[in-house]
Amino acid sequence: MTIRNTLRDHGQRYRPRMACLKKTEKVLLEMQDPKTGVRSQPQRLVITTIPHAITGEDIIAWLADRFQVDTQEARTFGSMLVALGYIYPLQDHKRLVIKPDVSLYRFQTPYFWPTQQWPVEDTDYAIYLAKRNIRKKGILELHEQEHYNRLHKWMNHKWDFIVMQAKEQYRAAKERKKPDRVVFDCQERAYWVVHRPPPGTVSAMDYGLDRLTDPNSDEAKTPDFYERIMIFTQQSIMRPRVKSSVSIGALVKYCGTYNNHDPFLFKCLPSNPWLTDDVTYWNLNMPCVEIPTKMRVERWTFSFAELLSDPRGRDDFRLFLKKEFSGENLAFWEGCEDLKWGEAATIKEKAEHIYKTFLARGAPRWINIDGKTMEVTVKGLKHPHRYVLDPAQTHIYMLMKKDSYGRYQKSPVFKDTVKKAICPEEHNFSVAQLEQNAKKRRPSLSPIILRQMEKEQRAKMAANVDITQLCRFTTPIPHLAVYSGITDFPTATTSPSLTFLAHTPACPSPISVALDSTSASERRVEAGGGEGEGNPAARAPVCGNVSKSRMALSLRRLLKRGCTPATMFASLSPKCHSAAGTSSRIQPISPDQPSQPPPRRIGKLKWIFLQSAVSTP
Amino acid sequence: MPLVNNKVGNDCTVSADKALVDEKALVDSLIKVVACYRHLASCVGGCTDSLQLRDELRQTREKAQMLAVVIRDHLTSHLRNKRLPEVQRKEMEIHWVAFSSSLELLHVDMCKVFYIGDIFSSANTDTLVKTGIQGGGSEVAARALSLPDLNQAQSPTLPAGLESQERTTMEQEISQIDHMIDDMEMKVNVMRWMVEPHGPQYAEPLSSTDSASLALLSVDEEQPGHQPLCQRSQIFVLLLLFAVVLVAATLSICIVFFS
Repeated sequence: MTIRNTLRDHGQRYRPRMACLKKTEKVLLEMQDPKTGVRSQPQRLVITTIPHAITGEDIIAWLADRFQVDTQEARTFGSMLVALGYIYPLQDHKRLVIKPDVSLYRFQTPYFWPTQQWPVEDTDYAIYLAKRNIRKKGILELHEQEHYNRLHKWMNHKWDFIVMQAKEQYRAAKERKKPDRVVFDCQERAYWVVHRPPPGTVSAMDYGLDRLTDPNSDEAKTPDFYERIMIFTQQSIMRPRVKSSVSIGALVKYCGTYNNHDPFLFKCLPSNPWLTDDVTYWNLNMPCVEIPTKMRVERWTFSFAELLSDPRGRDDFRLFLKKEFSGENLAFWEGCEDLKWGEAATIKEKAEHIYKTFLARGAPRWINIDGKTMEVTVKGLKHPHRYVLDPAQTHIYMLMKKDSYGRYQKSPVFKDTVKKAICPEEHNFSVAQLEQNAKKRRPSLSPIILRQMEKEQRAKMAANVDITQLCRFTTPIPHLAVYSGITDFPTATTSPSLTFLAHTPACPSPISVALDSTSASERRVEAGGGEGEGNPAARAPVCGNVSKSRMALSLRRLLKRGCTPATMFASLSPKCHSAAGTSSRIQPISPDQPSQPPPRRIGKLKWIFLQSAVSTP
Repeated sequence: MPLVNNKVGNDCTVSADKALVDEKALVDSLIKVVACYRHLASCVGGCTDSLQLRDELRQTREKAQMLAVVIRDHLTSHLRNKRLPEVQRKEMEIHWVAFSSSLELLHVDMCKVFYIGDIFSSANTDTLVKTGIQGGGSEVAARALSLPDLNQAQSPTLPAGLESQERTTMEQEISQIDHMIDDMEMKVNVMRWMVEPHGPQYAEPLSSTDSASLALLSVDEEQPGHQPLCQRSQIFVLLLLFAVVLVAATLSICIVFFS
């Protein structure tokens, strides 16, 4: 609002340098040469003729000749000239493209050329709209009308001035000859089509965010400036170095591998949405799509990181691990990621859960890491922070990469996915269809909706618990309650991530489940009680005999494994000291406890039985 | 001299009213000059760029600056006058806003002319952009300077050496306007959000005939694209007419035949 107060304003107000503008200007000047420039012809109107009109094909031919390129590239370049506003079309003035036929164009006057130094002012736009309103007697286009109203609201204090200036400019224009007036109007209109594009089109002058410093100004050579340079060079010296043959080799390999997967460099199927405005490509490559595309599946074979970073790939991998009964590795890794990137307030809680589920001796989903790492991690967990599980996570990551990843690529799961992957056909849009697509352009889903969808997805996953895998989103299986006879068991928790209840990989035999209905519920309760502190709202207290057995259970655990880290088992200490359950139904947590080899190698058959028993709802 | 039987207060308001009217006239003329300057500036670098155009620009610029200095002095003195009645103060503030906006526009236009004039020296006419403009800006300049007719006899033939001097003067003038703008902000505190304009939101069309003819031209401008279509529709209409005439002729022949 105020006059340029660039000195007092510490915000980002400078437009970044657009190097293309300087270069384009040079080309434009070359085009003007009467001998070697573009051939111009007069444009015949009903009343008069206006000189200096050029045809699209002439422009393209000249560009192809000057730069020694083929017609397609010259055409793209010509379109860029039009899109930036150096040449404007005389017919169909809203579409800023070059047509390779006899449609006419004209050069824009240098006053209206896009510049980097002077931003396009809203005041000028308001004046232009007011003038247009005068000329068209109140009939403005819809978006112009909207802009006009908005500017009237925001620049209300200047409105007298704007209206007066518009009138004066209009009157001054009347002093000129009629053809000149027409040309000036066309020039101004073309200028505003570039800088205030009508809805549904994009402006070539979109440059992103404003900069903090003026790229045109020279930086003052103060001591601070030199100090900054010194710090920068010192840090550059301290950087670790790699032999250039190695780094270049890696770059070349990367480029070679990813070349066909880059939409910039290679055609992408079915069609590049940025070029054709058709979003099939994005729809086919959504994060949680049922059937991935062939290119996507191919990318999973490039590296393990690629597989894990793609949500669909991760799902596939998870499925494979499920079949191999080593899902806890991936679950642990995901838990660590969640800890690292999650909210600070939940770190302690999450760390506890992860410990109890994966790391503790006797944990339901114990992971196999070496002793030293385990020691370090457990020590760190006394005072958990974001990166406390990093060594363990790295270890598990390398384990999965070296071991499971290779097997995954040879597995029937992967082969099946590869077979089912689709390879969409290429679109072949005609020009008319492209225009149609451009008109139908719509903004994508808002991030809020996407986040809600993700949440629903996670809740769904949480609901689809597979007891054999006992994934982290376990809720107590409702149908197990049928066996156990406990009806008032809490169901899904509010926060699906990492709120797992009991689950024992080392499950009892199905027979024991059927007979010993309380054992499963016991275990559930135990973990539920353990988490009771963490999720006070979620758990409902259960019956007495269960808690009795819980106490006995925890006691047994303590005896079995000797001392344990303080905090974790404190929560498991018996709360109610009722008589120790003498019932025979108290079973040890599992016959195959973590002190023994990892559960996945044992009890496979049992799990299969259990799964079949449990899967009937 | 009529008997002026005024109290001091009245005297103040009367003179303030007169000053207001004066200032409005000055600000209006500044707006007019700035508008003309913009039209002239849009020709710089185009095929009609010439020494004459530059000269016209210079003259318009000088007029604008002269007006600006006068208005600034007036407005500053009046707005710093604490005893100014409220109504007049509001009016003055509106003029102030108009004045500062005009100065901003003038500043940008001058910078652009300076920059473009740098690239396109009028000596080398090969690179002047073929914009399609045919006439010069003489009539516009005449309007700006409020002269009935710009005397074309005094077409300036500045020797080339003076061109650099011209540039330095221009630079100086730009910085002068710069300082004026900064100065104004320092001296007078006008809260822009308090200023309420009393003009209409939409400018009324100035004269129907004129805009109509221009509209016609602009329609012509877009006509070439639609020409094939028009021709086709014309042919269709002609055919229809012909068919009707034919039917009428046959009917009349039948009547004659049967009667």
